[in-house]
Amino acid sequence: MTSGIRSQFWHSDGRRLSGLSTLLLLLPFFAIIAFVFVYPIGQLLWISFTEPKPTLDNYARVVTNPVYARVLLRTLWTAVLVTGLCVILGFPVAYYMSRARAAVAAFVGVCVILPLWSSVLVRTAAWSFLLQRQGLVNSGLMATGITSEPLKLLYTQSAVVVAMAHVLLPFMILPIFGALRSIPDDYMRAAAVLGAPRFRTFLEVILPLSLPGIASGSLLVFLTALGFFITPALLGSPQELMIATLVSQQIREVLDWPFASALVGVLTLFVTLLALIFSKTLRFDRLMGAQ
Amino acid sequence: MAMNREQTAGASIRISRLEKRFGNVSAVDGVDIDISAGEFLALLGPSGSGKTTILMSLAGFEFPTAGNIVIGSEDLTYVPANKRNLGMVFQNYTLFPHMSILDNVAFPLKMRGVAKPERYARAEEALATVRLAGYGERFSSQLSGGQQQRVALARAIVYRPRVLLMDEPLSALDKNLREDMQLEIKRLHAELGITVIFVTHDQSEALTMADRVAVLKDGRIQQIGPSRELYERPANLFTAGFIGEMNFIGVTVESVGEAIAVSLPSGEHWNVPSTSAVDPLQAGQKAVLAVRPERLQIGGEGAAFAFHVKLADIVYAGSALLLIGHLPDGTEIRARLPGASDLSTLTPGATAVFSVPKEAILLYAGGAK
Ligand SMILES: Nc1ncnc2c1ncn2[C@@H]1O[C@H](COP(=O)(O)OP(=O)(O)OP(=O)(O)O)[C@@H](O)[C@H]1O
Ligand SMILES: [Mg+2]
Repeated sequence: MTSGIRSQFWHSDGRRLSGLSTLLLLLPFFAIIAFVFVYPIGQLLWISFTEPKPTLDNYARVVTNPVYARVLLRTLWTAVLVTGLCVILGFPVAYYMSRARAAVAAFVGVCVILPLWSSVLVRTAAWSFLLQRQGLVNSGLMATGITSEPLKLLYTQSAVVVAMAHVLLPFMILPIFGALRSIPDDYMRAAAVLGAPRFRTFLEVILPLSLPGIASGSLLVFLTALGFFITPALLGSPQELMIATLVSQQIREVLDWPFASALVGVLTLFVTLLALIFSKTLRFDRLMGAQ
Repeated sequence: MAMNREQTAGASIRISRLEKRFGNVSAVDGVDIDISAGEFLALLGPSGSGKTTILMSLAGFEFPTAGNIVIGSEDLTYVPANKRNLGMVFQNYTLFPHMSILDNVAFPLKMRGVAKPERYARAEEALATVRLAGYGERFSSQLSGGQQQRVALARAIVYRPRVLLMDEPLSALDKNLREDMQLEIKRLHAELGITVIFVTHDQSEALTMADRVAVLKDGRIQQIGPSRELYERPANLFTAGFIGEMNFIGVTVESVGEAIAVSLPSGEHWNVPSTSAVDPLQAGQKAVLAVRPERLQIGGEGAAFAFHVKLADIVYAGSALLLIGHLPDGTEIRARLPGASDLSTLTPGATAVFSVPKEAILLYAGGAK
């Protein structure tokens, strides 16, 4: 009686899902993607080409006005810096977690994830508190005699980079940890018997095998950083706009939707190109052990 | 045989009073093994008997709690793994997935600072030794399990270590491949004259491959000797039961003299030659009589060593017949006879007479089971 129904969901060998159940399981995901992502982006891109009349003028403005090109470059550069900082700060933590005893690793893991439970706004506000003229960082620097007067830390590009790296760090640590954890201990042992000292084992075996984790962490952090809004808006200098702030200005203050859409279009193009180059050069499939 | 040829190729190993405790678990408990240069030694034992721990101590991944390890003339007990210059093959191949096969095999040479052209030439040569010439460009994911293990073997011998350690290197392979690889490893051992320590829990593998087998249980050596000795005269009840099939019959020793008189549960009295006693025995004591199923012969009523068994099952298995029966005290008796044996009068339920050649009888002190 049930076998008829069951066979709709499982292949006869019982191990693989049937086409129907695969579809049913994936449908909600693709429906959400379609409604909240593909549709609005498509709509935006459509506007950028068609309003006020079918035209490429909106794109011409982005490309010809050096101000916008500079905003775009600054955004990309900031995202690169944030990503780099996250790799540098995140790798040692992930490495430590992967080598530590289970209880210690779990504790560090919770410490890594905990900040995700507070809002980006709170974490950014904390930084503006730390970095202000009489903030903890400046008073610390003066107390140790490194500087004699308070430095301008807030409303600088460095403040933005540091705070964004802090906010995005978990997204770097977790994939790297995942990659490191999946390296069997026997690889380290094999490398050692074959004559590799610890540092060579790290360089020749552990680091290359953790590259997929570094790559996916970097991609996550980089792409999120490109669209970051709150942190640059609160900690950045008003003279050094980033693209999300610019788009928001165009939409809310200038009400120029077609131009804002063109900005989004250019950003989307960049992101797509970068993602393609990334996956081609790093050979994800090979690193993942595919044939 | 490999021992006296090419003295320099293999190194001798002396393991003395080796102990390793993990908390209060004694993984290795006072192990002494002397291995001569070029010997092939198998470590055989049930799961948890300490085989891997001994190998890890040899390789330098674990430092022993007590005892020491001398390889050649060097005490390596506390030398780090990367400075021991030993070869090792793991159960799961452990080829680095991000390197080509050639780079994998050249890796130990790279670590030893061998220049690129030479290390690739030597890696190619090592691949040829395991019959994988021309596979250098591939990656490990493009090879079968057997091929991967051969690459691992090439990688372990390319720097000409004097000792090769292997921890169940064939257990991930299917039966046919395993037999191929057994031959391959034997061939390499003969060709290179290297000392091999081979861990396995497959007794037939140990018996066919090794010059000597060390049987371990609970971190202690039960017996160490050539395969034939282990099989034909196990030193204790554990080895007797662990290696091959064995019938154990609880007997009572009646008198000890020129011969040993014992009484069987089935009522017979045997005068067993005193050479059959592995342990010293005394009159009146309980003992265990052990005999291999393939040494039982059907018939022989009235022979010196005959006994009656009530048959329960007759299993025909092509080349062999397996007879399963019981003694009055419930002891199970198995007999393996040639497949063509004439059993016309025997059916389950009938009582059969089996006889045993006297040299096949072994006597141990202690109670059965
Ligand atoms: N790192 C460790 N920590 C605690 N106990 C350990 C450790 N390694 C081994 N042991 C214990 O030591 C004993 C011997 O283990 P070992 O791995 O040497 O056995 P083995 O003979 O190789 O078994 P198998 O055939 O299952 O591989 C076991 O009781 C095991 O639980
Ligand atoms: Mg083991």
